[in-house]
Amino acid sequence: MSTYEQKGSLAMRALALKKTRALLVLAMASAGFAVTSSTASAAPVAIDLCASNGQITMPDTTVVPVWGFVQTASCAANLVNDTNFPGAPLVVNEGDVVTINVTNALPPDPAPATDPPDHTVRFEIPGITFDPGGTDAAVGATVSRTFTASAPGTYEFQSAGDAGRQEAMGLYGALIVRSATANQAYDVPSTGYDVEATLVLSAIDPNFNAAPDTFDLHGYRATYWLINGKAYPDTAGIVATAGQRVLLRYVNGGFDNTTMLLLGMHERVLARDARLLNNPFDADAETLPAGATEDAIATVPSTAPPSTSGFPLYNRQLHVTNGTAPNPAYAPGGMLTFIHP
Amino acid sequence: MTQRTRRLGLVAALAAGSALLVPVHAAALPVGAAKIGMICTPGALAGTTRTFNLVANTGYIETPDGNSVFMWSYANADTPDNGHFQSPGPVLCANQNETVVVNLTNTLPEPSSIVFPGQDAQVTATGGAAGLLTTEAAATGGTVSYSFLAGNAGTYLYESGSDVSKQVEMGLYGALVVRPSTGANFAYDSTATQFDPSREYLLLLNEIDPDLHHAVETGGTYDLNALHNRYFAINGREFPDTVQDNGSLLLPNQPYGALVRIQPNTPTNNQPALLRMINAGVDNHPFHPHGNHTREIAQDGRLVASTEHFGETIGSGQTLDYLLRWDDQDNWNPNGNPLPVAPPNYRNVFFKDGNTYYSGSPYLGYSGTLPTGTVSQNVCGEWYFPLHSHALNEFTNFDQGFGGMGTLLRVDPAGGCFASATSAAIVGGTLKSGSVTALGLDDTTYYQVNPKTTTRTSTTTAGQTTITVASAAGFPTAGSYYVRIDNEVMSVTGGQGTTTWTVLRGQLGSAAATHAAGATVTALANDWYAGFSGAPVGAQNLKVTYKGQNCGNTTGTSCTAMPTNLPQQTVKICNWTVAGAAGCSTSTSAGWVTLPAPPAQPQSVGSPDATSTWTLPGLANAYIGTGANNGQVRVLVHTQRWTAPSPTAFSTWGNFMKIVYDAP
Repeated sequence: MSTYEQKGSLAMRALALKKTRALLVLAMASAGFAVTSSTASAAPVAIDLCASNGQITMPDTTVVPVWGFVQTASCAANLVNDTNFPGAPLVVNEGDVVTINVTNALPPDPAPATDPPDHTVRFEIPGITFDPGGTDAAVGATVSRTFTASAPGTYEFQSAGDAGRQEAMGLYGALIVRSATANQAYDVPSTGYDVEATLVLSAIDPNFNAAPDTFDLHGYRATYWLINGKAYPDTAGIVATAGQRVLLRYVNGGFDNTTMLLLGMHERVLARDARLLNNPFDADAETLPAGATEDAIATVPSTAPPSTSGFPLYNRQLHVTNGTAPNPAYAPGGMLTFIHP
Repeated sequence: MTQRTRRLGLVAALAAGSALLVPVHAAALPVGAAKIGMICTPGALAGTTRTFNLVANTGYIETPDGNSVFMWSYANADTPDNGHFQSPGPVLCANQNETVVVNLTNTLPEPSSIVFPGQDAQVTATGGAAGLLTTEAAATGGTVSYSFLAGNAGTYLYESGSDVSKQVEMGLYGALVVRPSTGANFAYDSTATQFDPSREYLLLLNEIDPDLHHAVETGGTYDLNALHNRYFAINGREFPDTVQDNGSLLLPNQPYGALVRIQPNTPTNNQPALLRMINAGVDNHPFHPHGNHTREIAQDGRLVASTEHFGETIGSGQTLDYLLRWDDQDNWNPNGNPLPVAPPNYRNVFFKDGNTYYSGSPYLGYSGTLPTGTVSQNVCGEWYFPLHSHALNEFTNFDQGFGGMGTLLRVDPAGGCFASATSAAIVGGTLKSGSVTALGLDDTTYYQVNPKTTTRTSTTTAGQTTITVASAAGFPTAGSYYVRIDNEVMSVTGGQGTTTWTVLRGQLGSAAATHAAGATVTALANDWYAGFSGAPVGAQNLKVTYKGQNCGNTTGTSCTAMPTNLPQQTVKICNWTVAGAAGCSTSTSAGWVTLPAPPAQPQSVGSPDATSTWTLPGLANAYIGTGANNGQVRVLVHTQRWTAPSPTAFSTWGNFMKIVYDAP
């Protein structure tokens, strides 16, 4: 179980009062227990999300202002930090009736006359339909969205507000709908796994983040490349031992099609956008469209990896740099992690 | 194509002044390497271990706009290359279940290495030092050795695993091809992946930002964030250089061409070509063949459920394998199955002067008359389709279109290139009607040749054995031959080439008789040849096809069939090595070589047309002219009616003649 998921489970504990059953599932998974299929049953689930602001620190010590969804019922400004960006995956079970309460604690648009930027959160989960409600969440407001998690898979939730600027600031995250069968990504045995790792891929242009309302997007040039909000060497490893099947839940929250290269093994691509593929295929350099999700399973070889750090998984578009050269943390950096015991 | 033209001019200049110039040192290709298609660096096989010795080094590539760009790459340290810089790296070819050893010597100023994406077996490193992604060879001379079992067939990339944001962009990549145990004519261990091994192509894509390379060359700041690609390459070359031959001396450090060449699918020629594609660059490339679909069979060295595409994105670091067959499903030809609408009037079609390659015909395989303004005919009636990145900003060289990530898909006529005669000459006979163009198509127009005639100026007695004729022109200058005067056939046995002949009288069942002064003397044979031009030196599998008939009449526009005593036809080809053009200047010159059976010659040919195809008696080289006769092929048709009873004059009607060959 990756550090990331352990962290996710900690964050989830804040929701214990509202999400007792979901917490149980996640805690068992994080402890490495085999979860029996009988534990997953449809139930009403409520999740509180807070769209807040804050800042994160890049490996080259650059501090970047960001926005993010934080799972908390105590929504406030300035909640986002290095430990909760972009937030742990929301995890529900297939069949759950899910209510997501989204509170907007973003700072108000400093120049409201320049709409469309108005910092109104427009919460959506592509692939899942729900009543969009009468209004979006204006700054200071809360909206609720309810849907039935009818199909298992990996989804991305996001805010479409301010014509994409909110997502570029970090208002995105992963939603996992677990299948009815434990340790199985979908309702077919071929999607069985031993270890799962969610990889939310994204990028940051610090110049944009410094001026999200006024930055000319024509000049958008990302210089930080993140896995789960972190750039190498701060990225968490994916912990798996020889023979284990690693479910890689890719979520591309960035704006570029992103290619991840896995050395030493192929991954079997089973699903895209939370739908099983009719023809799964094996890949080692898999390209994920922006805004898309993908589920792939790689079985860790029993032989030694090419690197003493493990089996490298990195951005083949060479986005393995941090910030602008020269700086001591420039390379290696970016979207790079390892699968290791 | 101006750059190409300029380079061709340069070649001419080099040839003219070669004594003054240092020869260009090109990356050597293995002996016997084809000029078109994927070229393997075979390594050294000992038992089941195949060893490659690579050196990471620096050098320059040339771009079609006249630029040269500093690159890092892998070179083959073994003969014949001996470390000569090349971009991209050598194509490493191994067989499934061999142990592949790659020894790397690093001459770069920083540690370097190789990773092998898609190799799921352990890659064991020996020597070197642990790096972030793999074991590395130290800077400026360090070594490391990698070893792995090539367990799965397929198309793979190998590339640097060190400082990848710089080293991969600088060019440290190449192709690794693993052939399945099922054989070299299969791409994978699947019968569905069979292909024609003579049509195996590799298209390795990459992009180059010359400013970043300049920064590395001059020790400036290298910042990948500044990446602005200006060159978009296939196999390390940008269009139009991509269509140059493998090993072209014009591109001494870019040995791999990218021209893809196929023939239409026929019942006997039905194996597809294999296109191995690798994207070594960082951008996704929407690659796009014009013409037929391609069938995608594998990705990243693993079979996929095959699908057909005419536009498919190949992602960064990805490999895709395609089977490509070209189905001329409508089988258009101007005779039996013409285009359903008239081809456009040439005046309505824009041809760029001096830059248009065109067969002159809208039909695959037919060469026709070129429209005004078009000065260059393509080789053999082939069609060219673009095969390129449909991201049109990548179809450029430094923002100038078109160039860059494009090559051509060449569709040769079914069975290979063919050429039609461009000239015809009668070396025994007279022209009845028609011209050489009548030989270009299998149709109802003929190149018609009558026997040579002359006259006797005086009376001929029945016993006379020496006769004088008005002219000997067009009659054989050597050997015995028959002529006819009135109803008598005589054999000329002496004085050939002069106007005073020694003759035998009353031959072939005729009776010696008296002939009046002024009687016509008619040959009972004719000889003519057709000349072909532009046959490329190095062409092989040359075949000659001739279709024609012989008619009993020498006047009129319809053919009078001869029910009996058919003329004997012998088709010969000029061996230029005997005596050059002089060796094939007359009907009896020494250079003519009778085309060998099958079908056996001579053949009895009357009417209607008879069609025959012959292969050459040996390698094609001797039959394709050089020097002043460069590219010429000459085919003689000798027809005689020298058999009893009492043969009469005839005319020879040539309908169609072509040569077919595999261009080099």
